[in-house]
Amino acid sequence: MMNEKAPVETPAEEAADVLLQKLLHLKQYERPEDSRMTRNKQNIMRSVRQAQSEKRKPLLDMLAVNIPWFFAEPKYGIAALFVVFIGLQYVGINSRNSSTSTGIYTSPGSVAAYDQQTTTVISNRYPNLPSNYPLFADPQGDQSVIPAGFELQR
Amino acid sequence: MFLLARGPLCSNIALRMVVDLKSDPEEVPEEKKVELEAAASNEEVPELDGPSDDELVLKSQQGDVQAFDMLVERYHGKIYGLTYNMTSNREDAEDLTQEIFIKAFEALPRFKGKSSFYTWLYRIGVNKTINYRKKRNRKRALSLDSFDQDIKLDEAYSDLTTKGSPLRSISLSELQIKLNEALQALSEKHRTVVVMHDMQGIPHDEIAKIVGASVGTVRSRLFYARRQMQNELSEFMK
Repeated sequence: MMNEKAPVETPAEEAADVLLQKLLHLKQYERPEDSRMTRNKQNIMRSVRQAQSEKRKPLLDMLAVNIPWFFAEPKYGIAALFVVFIGLQYVGINSRNSSTSTGIYTSPGSVAAYDQQTTTVISNRYPNLPSNYPLFADPQGDQSVIPAGFELQR
Repeated sequence: MFLLARGPLCSNIALRMVVDLKSDPEEVPEEKKVELEAAASNEEVPELDGPSDDELVLKSQQGDVQAFDMLVERYHGKIYGLTYNMTSNREDAEDLTQEIFIKAFEALPRFKGKSSFYTWLYRIGVNKTINYRKKRNRKRALSLDSFDQDIKLDEAYSDLTTKGSPLRSISLSELQIKLNEALQALSEKHRTVVVMHDMQGIPHDEIAKIVGASVGTVRSRLFYARRQMQNELSEFMK
């Protein structure tokens, strides 16, 4: 069997430890000059102000400061985002249905409007004309040609 | 300020550390550990004048620079103590302290309050200091703050300079250099735990949070760091 006893320090080691602690304790009497410390603090404060004036707050940081609950508990943040998403979906669907809906919830007025809209033919093609349809009138005295349907407003 | 008002606090920490040393670093009994760390945390909670850290942090996040000034006032001494003892160079320590606070201010919007501001600030401090030294890639010459004359009133100093002690024969400045050289001979990780625990009195669990290691690892590092320092300072260890 192995000896599992924890190593025990000898009295000499203990004495050495105590002595070391006393020596390290003395080191705490090394103290900086007050004037140096004051100057150092002033430098820090000046640098902080400079950094503050140069800093442009990122959007996320601003949000985190202004609505901390949103970031402190991510589950609430995610839930809030989900609610906003559902709300936007609802608003979007409603607005679409109110103008051109054709589903089972559509009002009779909307159906009539939709039918009217679908019967209107919108085409950019030229109309079909008979082959002998005169597009231009005969040349005039000065040889100018004008469209057949054109009538000069006098 | 912490550095100026730490006479009795230091003595308490030193006493606690002496008690702490009597047990093996990895094998501290649970009851004792709880007792010691409760005592340590009682000592370590800074007496706050004015608003709490949380309030000041929130105000600073909203762009109130004066609130951040109060945090600087509150923790400047501790952060300077950390960087100074990590580098043994007061110019480097001043630069680092400045960099640490500016970095903290810039990173403040991302501070979520999962740990205390104090722990978070220390984490920045430790990382910055280690990176700073890595970048330099060489040891800087020592540049030390002078000993306060109050040292002569300290009980530990009186013990160490009594008749027959090896310290009797050397001057304070020599002792200071030897101590700092021994500290600088440690690796960054070992020095970090020695500075935070043995000099600043931060409890093991808090150090574990700061350095991102387990409490056992912190205790182990502390144990080996102390052994190495004893070897470095063997001339005084007789």
